[in-house]
Amino acid sequence: MVADITSWGRASRDPLRLRRGQVAALDGAPGYGLTRIGLSLLAEHATSGPIAYLDVRGWLSPLAAWEMGIAPDRLLVARCGDVVRWGRAAAALLDGVRGLYAEVPAGARDAVIRRLGAMARRSGTPLVLRPLRGSVPAGVATMRIAAAGVRWDGVDHGHGRLRTRTTQLVVSGKAVRGMTQQMEVEDDGANAVRVVSDLGAARAGRTG
Amino acid sequence: MWSPTWALLGQGAPDEPFQAVGDDRRVSAINPAATAAGIRLGMLRSEAEALCPTVVTVPRDLGAEVARFEPIVSVLEEVVPRVEIVAPGMALIPVAGAVGYYGSEPKLAKRVAAAVTAGSDQGAHFRFGIASGPFAAQRAAELATGRPPLLIVEDDVAFLQELDIAAIDREDLVATFRWLGITTLGDLARLPRSAIVSRFGTEGMTAHRLASGEDREVRPRALPEDLVVEERFDPPLDDFERASFAARALANRLVASLAGRGAHRVIVEAEAADGTVRSRTWRSADPFDDASLADRVRWQLRAWIEGAGVGVRGGLAAIRIRPADLSGTGRQMVLSEDASSTAETRRALTEVQAIVGPDALLQAVPQGGRDPGERVAWHRWDESPAPAVRDPAAPWPGRLPAPAPALVPPTPQPLAVEWDEGLPSAVRLGSRWVPVLTWAGPWRSVARWWHDGHIVVDRYQLVTSAGAFLCEVRDGTSWLVGVYD
Repeated sequence: MVADITSWGRASRDPLRLRRGQVAALDGAPGYGLTRIGLSLLAEHATSGPIAYLDVRGWLSPLAAWEMGIAPDRLLVARCGDVVRWGRAAAALLDGVRGLYAEVPAGARDAVIRRLGAMARRSGTPLVLRPLRGSVPAGVATMRIAAAGVRWDGVDHGHGRLRTRTTQLVVSGKAVRGMTQQMEVEDDGANAVRVVSDLGAARAGRTG
Repeated sequence: MWSPTWALLGQGAPDEPFQAVGDDRRVSAINPAATAAGIRLGMLRSEAEALCPTVVTVPRDLGAEVARFEPIVSVLEEVVPRVEIVAPGMALIPVAGAVGYYGSEPKLAKRVAAAVTAGSDQGAHFRFGIASGPFAAQRAAELATGRPPLLIVEDDVAFLQELDIAAIDREDLVATFRWLGITTLGDLARLPRSAIVSRFGTEGMTAHRLASGEDREVRPRALPEDLVVEERFDPPLDDFERASFAARALANRLVASLAGRGAHRVIVEAEAADGTVRSRTWRSADPFDDASLADRVRWQLRAWIEGAGVGVRGGLAAIRIRPADLSGTGRQMVLSEDASSTAETRRALTEVQAIVGPDALLQAVPQGGRDPGERVAWHRWDESPAPAVRDPAAPWPGRLPAPAPALVPPTPQPLAVEWDEGLPSAVRLGSRWVPVLTWAGPWRSVARWWHDGHIVVDRYQLVTSAGAFLCEVRDGTSWLVGVYD
């Protein structure tokens, strides 16, 4: 059951919202649902123009983006597995789209990632970075989202089907006022990802 | 425009029965004398010779037929500039603009007939069919009579309804349709498309679409060579700035030579000093002007000269720009409703295209299918999506329900799964085995069951502590086909 998030007194804070010029870093292995969470962060920006997904592996299925509320004609997918051209392609995309989800290839230099973060802030384009190996260097992301666990409902030893995923997240960074927050988000494929519980918050040290 | 005897042109006397036979040993062209003897197109050669022992059989020579047809097409393009060649002796001509220019469809047909007759010194006779779609137009040309033989179809759907089911030209499907009592295209069109798709797959849907008058548009052929602009450099250029300067001048020359005709597609070629040629096609929803064309050529040259890869060995010996499509209709994508930023967006995306290549900047539209990969039709940015091969509105029983896996590998990846008495117990993720906590399935899918080579697939949704994965088992081997990320 999805809780009314206002009952937690959190609607005004809206922790899973990426504003213009902010940079989010996603941290977690494939399977935790971070691709869909990253796309949901950009979905609201797709209402005003195209957003892009910089696909290093060529694995993105646009079905997931469409389910997140991104219209097919508002989603561009640029495939680029070459680490040198990746930086140039990301920079060019930041100039022309309203939001960018960029998978970060192994071997991408920290300086390039920092430069992209600065470009995103300057151009006012929200940027989601998903490193395929390692993590985003400190000081780039205004919001760090790390997956701590995942649970699926709807299946039972051969019966049913995958219906709802609940992911435990640890969110930190300036975008959440420097507070490290643990929360659960729910995704049933029919709506944007919803925050369903606020497990706790603690003052963090220096983050992202 | 179709000449049924094109393959036999210049063969023997007109009163002798002649037939042309292709590699499949079936009759692909006959002259009137052979028709009178009872020979029909598509008949086996042995059947035809049994019916008419005096028939002279000639093997088809497609190369020679194409060479003979080329002068006709050139003459035709002087009357109507955009022509699609379907086969030697058959061309599709988009007539919407030309009818307005020449006054009426019969006048246009007479003008075209006069031009091709004058242009052919081989006595070729053409038939003309005019309809809204290529399929109906070809059928109309087959039935055309008069001087010149012409049939104008006012309503494609009504015209097609009366035609024999053999018109879909798929022997296996036609035989099954007849066995089911479907003898005309109208019979087929009246059946629910979903039932046809479910029984006959994609081929059935294509047949149903054609029978219903839903057809593709004419695709004009590439432009002749003389519109190519070229600049050669001796000694070869070795720096981007000079190449960029030359590219701008070349783009200006091409746009000027097109004399107001807009090019939507150009091929940029760079010849290296060692003789290797690199080429890339650039498209635009709006016709290229000199500035936008120069930008693309410049970006492309930069990608080749300064980018990763083999580069341009020994310097740049020549640049060529080849216009490839002068189609007149705009194909503007609706990417942004904010007009002020559209130009900026287009400029940025064009630069991305230059960096990653035109085949790597993509958009997608939904199409029908059961698997996540099947339900997405990709197309290049700045190009219109191709008509959906599979109808997204059709019922797709067994389709994987939402939520969809966010990551779908382009080809299934091997996945190590440990089975315990036929039930999944562990899966290897990277270098470690992870217990399967629960799972859904197996859902058995038998694709193309009406074919001998049908495919049996068991599909599982495997849930682990590290997430959920979509897995397929074929012939005892497990494959990863999706990650619920």
